[in-house]
Amino acid sequence: MTQSLNILLNGKIVSGKPGETILALAERNDVHIPTLCNDPRLDPYSSCYVCVVEVQGYRGLQPACSTKIMEGMKIDTDTPRVRKARKTALDLMVSNHYADCVAPCKETCPAGVDVQGYISLIEKGLYSEAIGLIKEVNPLPAICGRVCVRPCEAACRRNLLGEGNPVGIDYLKRFAADKDIEAAENHYKPEVAPSTGKKVAIIGAGPGGLSSAYFLQQKGHQCDIYEASPQSGGWLRYGIPEYRLPNDIIDKEVEAVTELGTRIFYNKKFGDDVGYAELQERYDSVILSIGSQRGTLIGCEGDDAENVFSGIDFLRNMEMTGQRYDFSKKTVAVVGGGNTAMDCCRTSVRCGAEKVYVIYRRTEKEMPANPIEIHESKLEGVEYLFLTNPTKVNKDENGAVKSITCLKMELGAPDKSGRRRPIPIEGSEFDLEVNYILAAIGQKTTINFLENVNQFSQNGELKANRWGDIDANPATLQTGIPSMFAAGDGVSGPATIIEAIAQAKAASRSCHQFLTNQPIEAEKKEFISRKDNFAKQDPKNYVGRYQEQLRHEMPTLSPDDRANFNEVELGYEDEEITLEETHRCLECGCSAYHTCDLKEYSTQYDAVQGKFEGDFKEYDVDYSHPYIEIDNNKCILCSRCVRICKDVVGANALGLVDRGFETHVAPSMGNSLTETNCESCGMCISACPTGAISENVNFKPGPVKFDTIETIDNIGPEGFEMNLHHKAGYFMQATGRKGDVNKDGNISRQAKFGYNYLNDPSRITKPLLKRNGNFEEITFDQAYNIIAEKIKGVEADENAFFAGARLTNEELYMVQKLARAGAKTNNVNAFHYMGRGIGYGQNAMANVPFDQLQNASKIVIIGSSLNMDHPLVNHMIFNARNRFKVQVELVTTDEECGLDHKVDRIHRIGSYYYFAKAVNYYLLSSGLQNQMFINDRSLEYETYKSNLLAEDFDDLFEKSGVCCIDELAEFAKSFNNEMNGVLVFSEKEVSSNVCLELFNTAIITGKLGKTAQGIVALKEKNNSQGIIDMGACHKVAPGFQPYDDPKVIQKLKMKWGIDDIPTNINSPYKLLKENKLKNIFIFGEDPVACAINKPEVEGWFEKLDFMMVQDYFLTETAQKADLILPASLPFEIGGSFTNTQKYLQKFDAGMESAIEENSPQQLINLMEKLGVNGFANMEEALWEVFTLLPPPADPETRKYQLHSTGRDNYNRQFNHGCDIVNKRFDDEFEAAFEREE
Amino acid sequence: MEKTKVIVGLGSCGIAAGANKTYNKIKQLQEAENLDFELKKTSCIGMCFREPLVEIIDETGSYIYGNVDEDTAVDVLEKHVINHEPIKELVVKTDLFDTPDNSFFKDQVKITLRHCGYIDPESIEDYEASNGYEAIKKIADEEISQPDVIDMILRSGLRGRGGGGFPTGMKWKFALNSQSTEKYIICNADEGDPGAFMDRSLLEGDPHAILEGMIIGAYAIGATDGVIYCRAEYPLAIKRLNIAIEQARDRGYLGEHIMGIEGFSFDIYVKEGAGAFVCGEETALIASIEGERGMPRKRPPYPAVSGLWKQPTNINNVETLANIPWIITNGPEAYSKYGTEKSKGTKVFALAGKINNSGLVEVPMGMSIRDIIFKLGGGIPEGKKFKAVQLGGPSGGCIPEYLADTIVDYDSVNATGAIMGSGGMVVMDESTCMVDVAKFFLNFTKEESCGKCTFCRIGTKRMLEILERITEGKGEEGDIGKLEELAYQIKDNSLCGLGQTAPNPVLTTLKYFRDEYTAHIIEKKCPAKVCKALLHYEIIADKCTGCTVCAIKCPVKCISGERKQAHVIDQELCIHCGDCYSRCKFDAITIS
Repeated sequence: MTQSLNILLNGKIVSGKPGETILALAERNDVHIPTLCNDPRLDPYSSCYVCVVEVQGYRGLQPACSTKIMEGMKIDTDTPRVRKARKTALDLMVSNHYADCVAPCKETCPAGVDVQGYISLIEKGLYSEAIGLIKEVNPLPAICGRVCVRPCEAACRRNLLGEGNPVGIDYLKRFAADKDIEAAENHYKPEVAPSTGKKVAIIGAGPGGLSSAYFLQQKGHQCDIYEASPQSGGWLRYGIPEYRLPNDIIDKEVEAVTELGTRIFYNKKFGDDVGYAELQERYDSVILSIGSQRGTLIGCEGDDAENVFSGIDFLRNMEMTGQRYDFSKKTVAVVGGGNTAMDCCRTSVRCGAEKVYVIYRRTEKEMPANPIEIHESKLEGVEYLFLTNPTKVNKDENGAVKSITCLKMELGAPDKSGRRRPIPIEGSEFDLEVNYILAAIGQKTTINFLENVNQFSQNGELKANRWGDIDANPATLQTGIPSMFAAGDGVSGPATIIEAIAQAKAASRSCHQFLTNQPIEAEKKEFISRKDNFAKQDPKNYVGRYQEQLRHEMPTLSPDDRANFNEVELGYEDEEITLEETHRCLECGCSAYHTCDLKEYSTQYDAVQGKFEGDFKEYDVDYSHPYIEIDNNKCILCSRCVRICKDVVGANALGLVDRGFETHVAPSMGNSLTETNCESCGMCISACPTGAISENVNFKPGPVKFDTIETIDNIGPEGFEMNLHHKAGYFMQATGRKGDVNKDGNISRQAKFGYNYLNDPSRITKPLLKRNGNFEEITFDQAYNIIAEKIKGVEADENAFFAGARLTNEELYMVQKLARAGAKTNNVNAFHYMGRGIGYGQNAMANVPFDQLQNASKIVIIGSSLNMDHPLVNHMIFNARNRFKVQVELVTTDEECGLDHKVDRIHRIGSYYYFAKAVNYYLLSSGLQNQMFINDRSLEYETYKSNLLAEDFDDLFEKSGVCCIDELAEFAKSFNNEMNGVLVFSEKEVSSNVCLELFNTAIITGKLGKTAQGIVALKEKNNSQGIIDMGACHKVAPGFQPYDDPKVIQKLKMKWGIDDIPTNINSPYKLLKENKLKNIFIFGEDPVACAINKPEVEGWFEKLDFMMVQDYFLTETAQKADLILPASLPFEIGGSFTNTQKYLQKFDAGMESAIEENSPQQLINLMEKLGVNGFANMEEALWEVFTLLPPPADPETRKYQLHSTGRDNYNRQFNHGCDIVNKRFDDEFEAAFEREE
Repeated sequence: MEKTKVIVGLGSCGIAAGANKTYNKIKQLQEAENLDFELKKTSCIGMCFREPLVEIIDETGSYIYGNVDEDTAVDVLEKHVINHEPIKELVVKTDLFDTPDNSFFKDQVKITLRHCGYIDPESIEDYEASNGYEAIKKIADEEISQPDVIDMILRSGLRGRGGGGFPTGMKWKFALNSQSTEKYIICNADEGDPGAFMDRSLLEGDPHAILEGMIIGAYAIGATDGVIYCRAEYPLAIKRLNIAIEQARDRGYLGEHIMGIEGFSFDIYVKEGAGAFVCGEETALIASIEGERGMPRKRPPYPAVSGLWKQPTNINNVETLANIPWIITNGPEAYSKYGTEKSKGTKVFALAGKINNSGLVEVPMGMSIRDIIFKLGGGIPEGKKFKAVQLGGPSGGCIPEYLADTIVDYDSVNATGAIMGSGGMVVMDESTCMVDVAKFFLNFTKEESCGKCTFCRIGTKRMLEILERITEGKGEEGDIGKLEELAYQIKDNSLCGLGQTAPNPVLTTLKYFRDEYTAHIIEKKCPAKVCKALLHYEIIADKCTGCTVCAIKCPVKCISGERKQAHVIDQELCIHCGDCYSRCKFDAITIS
């Protein structure tokens, strides 16, 4: 057979492996082919047709995922024909994708602020992170949180619920922004790139200029702002009155810009005080953000009268001069219906006016002003004259305004803006006596520096457009002068703050491209799927579907207290109210926004949602499963979920229903996944390329860009590599990672859904001492002293130390050393294994590596809950069965179990112990044993044989509960004859003597230590093996060496440099039962909560003098303690675990410890208190273990010992691996499904 | 002297026309009058348009009577069987004198259908008596080797009759060369094309021929098991197949050491189809047999390498298999003397649609479409003009009148843009709207798409939506371009034959009848007056008598007028249902 194939891939000769697909070949050669339906864990499927490529000589395009390469194949992966097909595939898919990538709030925001994202962060109390997210596009959240026109709230779908109000988006933003300001030194600061040496002059310190500086400074460009006024803020300061936007808020946000390095030069008017010649010489680029400075007057006869101002001049003059107008006993008419009119009328009230009118030519409904402003102004006594238009200003003899003549209007047909056009009513004129008229009807841009600029420009020309604004490319905002950009009102005409910010973002992006010699291009529009592209959202689909919850309104100053310029809106009272308001968010956007492949490819290939308009499918989102959410609207029918559930999990809980366009994924034979064989493993989630199947979480999932910790599962024993995703310590997702153990990157149910405890605010972070029944914080040193005193205060063997299976190897080793070398007692153990015999110890040495399971010819599962206890091993076995046709048999004592429907054959028996023994008896008595293997590789065969054969077979057979002798014989013979037979069992389900007898079976049938045959013995916890290997057991020394071996003791003495090493071997279990202990020290176990016989366990502890517990939470055990030490999470400290197959895996700390002195440090300090030389770090501890290990046995010649057992010893004391983390998940899981029922 | 035989055609078409009643009547008369003739059953002879058919064979020869209802049966028995006076005017086929329907048979060559309508399909004796199981006997007796059997099939030039036209001998060769201890042969009897019923007729009329074909195939490739995947909508076929399998087992044609051939053991079972058109696609068919959802997968691997239960599998269509015993018995050369250079033998067609003689015909390859329609099919009813013929079912295409001289062979038909397919021939006359036809077939494929691949699942739906818009008068300029663009994309990028061919009806009608599309889109007119939304109904005042029938029956009450006065249709309200038009007895309503 050819060893390699010659393939022409995109014109390059590459070498392919026989049997390889085009997709795999391309991947190996760094040619990326997009695919949605392919999953490396599954057989190729070819449904999405996004991976098509051209293959010379083939009719039609070929899906790369399922087309195998052949010698001489000529493949092109990126031709126009291929691109067209991919685009069409995506166009078609998105034509039936009734879903929103982003929520309307973000969509509507000119700056694209990720509202849903920051609401999610605010929900979690992550205010600075929320501000960080906002500041990616909007540097002025505290300002916008007060005065933004809030298009987001108008677009909010909560409006469809008919509750009257959208989510208080701006209120939430303001709350977070104020919190961030309160954080003073710790407020959010973006990263600033190293200086590029480039300099940018920015004209104007309004929102556009400040934002431009904020964005460009982060890129490392030095920004200098030239401001004509004496202070910063532009219209923010000079146009918006202080009762709405206090100046100190402006100052704070300006500071957040200048602290990045931006300088502001005041009283420097461009063209007058600073000329273009100078700027051109000193700067690499200029951004014009000059605003629209000139107010418009009413434009009717007599508007030149004294006391007729433009509204903005009125507002600016007061701010400039610091002098307020005195309107007492005066009547003021404000003309206009926008926010400036509101600012004018409300300011007039504050200036003491006796009467303030607002004259507006349409009705209140058409007013562009924020409704809250209108509402507040009315509270303050402003009177409205709607459908009224001024036609003439009448002067008194001094030329000052005396009255204003108005005309009544009525509404006609809608005009271009969609608002109904006002039409004058003939003969309806009336006069209104007023003292002042403030015209708030518009602004104009003044550009008086064109000549100056063009005179000195060396390249290009700056122009004004026909509206008198700066002429710039609308997409890039580059002006006629390549190095000059423009943003804000000055280029757009009068608009909103948030629009100015959005423009600043675009202009600074272009400016950055200019400064870094890149082509100047506007940001590529990403593909966004929108429900609105299909249908206008109908309230009937919202009302009743969401819980009603009224908006928390903004607390305001009482109208009686407003005769001043104090801020009227007071901000949300507290975090509680804020949290409640976040709950009103309907999360319209997709939580898979950052990870969706469909979106990525649709962007890449310019897919258009409306290209193939037509019928679309609309489904209800299925939340019925407590952990898995199915949104068929987002499904593209790649069937990865269906296939992984069938081919890997073996549960077959999902299926395709209906045909053609109606096809959709649904739970098999049920309305809900909870009614199927679903094992809640979450593998479907891991397979979904969009957001169609996702985790059903109990918090707002964002979308949020995560920080990721690479770690190892700390719940199960397989030791699989996984990632924990969090934002500022709030954990939001767990995913598998491909690694040495975890070749497919899968993740267990427990790890996938069990991370909630990491967000528990009740985590203990300080040592706690019980005084008068209450726990009080003490210092670490106080705690160590108390512990040391207690240890020394009693006989050595009246102390006992317990180390849990969750601890790292390093910690386990230190606990036993603390006991043996420090406290001089050999009373060290784990509740985890207490009283359960010695048989669990040796299994790990001969385990079949997981990745060989697919090469087995038959796998026998002994037990009934492998799929729930060890999902990943379940997946590997059933993947082997479904894809590699490996036979799987089940031996179980259960009448029925969750594995029944997945296996090829079931043996229902009564006792694992007697079954194993009867099988062994049968094999030996029939002379079927593999004698050659036994002779070469086993120890104590003869003893075992004579012991076993001395027993009564009929008795063993009967107690085994197997139906008939033939079945037993057939089982024994067929397993014996199996080329590659594997026995799989878990310590959770079988006793240690069963482990021994199954180990004996493997020896007798000659299957140990060979490829793809033997046993897979599964421990309970992530580091159960570590307990044994590190010697945290009274019977064994580190390295799983017998503690009664004098040579071992000698080695310990040498290594530890001590003579008086304790040699008593007392069972701590017995000591506890006999109440012979006075002090116990428990590290990482919760025996009380996990006890099977709780009163007994509580009884042990009640008799003690002193009890210390180290844990994350105030567990039931910890509550009984006298002293509690806080425990570190594994990923806070790093270290190593030894998996169930004796594979030692190191992992690094992934985040800062929440505890001042972390767990290993506590042990080091305690050892020092007891006179034992501690370690500098964990690494040293592990190194010491290595030096104590016996020389490794050669796997080729290693001898396996047969053990005679006398009786079954199922003597389990504790559930959940005796760990609160496991218990917590098990309890939550059970409760979640009980709720469902 | 042989006893007179009375044979009643009891195929599905006959039964539908009342043949069971006819049969029972004859039986009842026979018993009551104690008449001395042999009453037998057979299946369809192809003349579906004359069912129920009763054949009488007496010493003078064979007479087939058409449209024999219970009364006619009494007449025929009395006159012909008892009094030996054939009723000539009721005879539709005989060799003794000319009948108006004789032209239907004159140019047919019956190889595939050799037994249909002649033997009792439930009787293995009948089959054996007509050279049945001679072919497998010949193989056993003459010890013809596996490669030699395959060679015979290769030399016969037989190509797959399911539609693909792949040389059967080659297929067998691949399967023979695939090394495995387990191999399968599958008979694809999931006939699903609208208007096609060749396979059903064969299964009902000559089930043993299919079994024998499979047995020979199994021998040739070394298969151990056979499956007939038959659509569940063919209950009679399934029943007769199961009877035939039982009989064949009893006689040792199935089971261990068949015909004493060393090491040749083979058995067959019938698997009822899942009711989906796509299950006729071989990989979907295999998935369906395996108990999975009937969805195709990418080939290769072809079933010949990895098919049912991942073992080498050969899949042949019913019609293909029916030819096999004949070829072995009569020799490949006898077969290949019929047909054209690249398409040998005969082909069965199911004539349907606007044609006088709808039924099954078997003709040598190379006959022109025009001859089939006019000579055998008797032309178009009601003297209407022949417009086009849809060949190859929903995967095929429309061939216009001006190409009707195209001969039937794989390559000539393909050149028109249609395909031979399984042999469905749907004839259309001038009153057929070609956009509507395209819509009909596309709707079929859209409904039958399995939903797996994107282009077929959504693309066909989108094409259909455009066609719907066009026929509803909402067509826009550019729609034809959109249709073509989508059609070529779907052809290029679909997983299986269903998707790859689904656009064919649209593409061929666009090719030959583009002006009809334009008329719909631009002029908002349906030239064939089929698309309701485009029709304009008007009452001719001069002809209207004011009888009020139309006004009373109008479902939207849009017709008004005084009694005995001319009525008027309110065009705003009219829903173009055509009810008034069909009810008016005075031709006072026009359609434009």
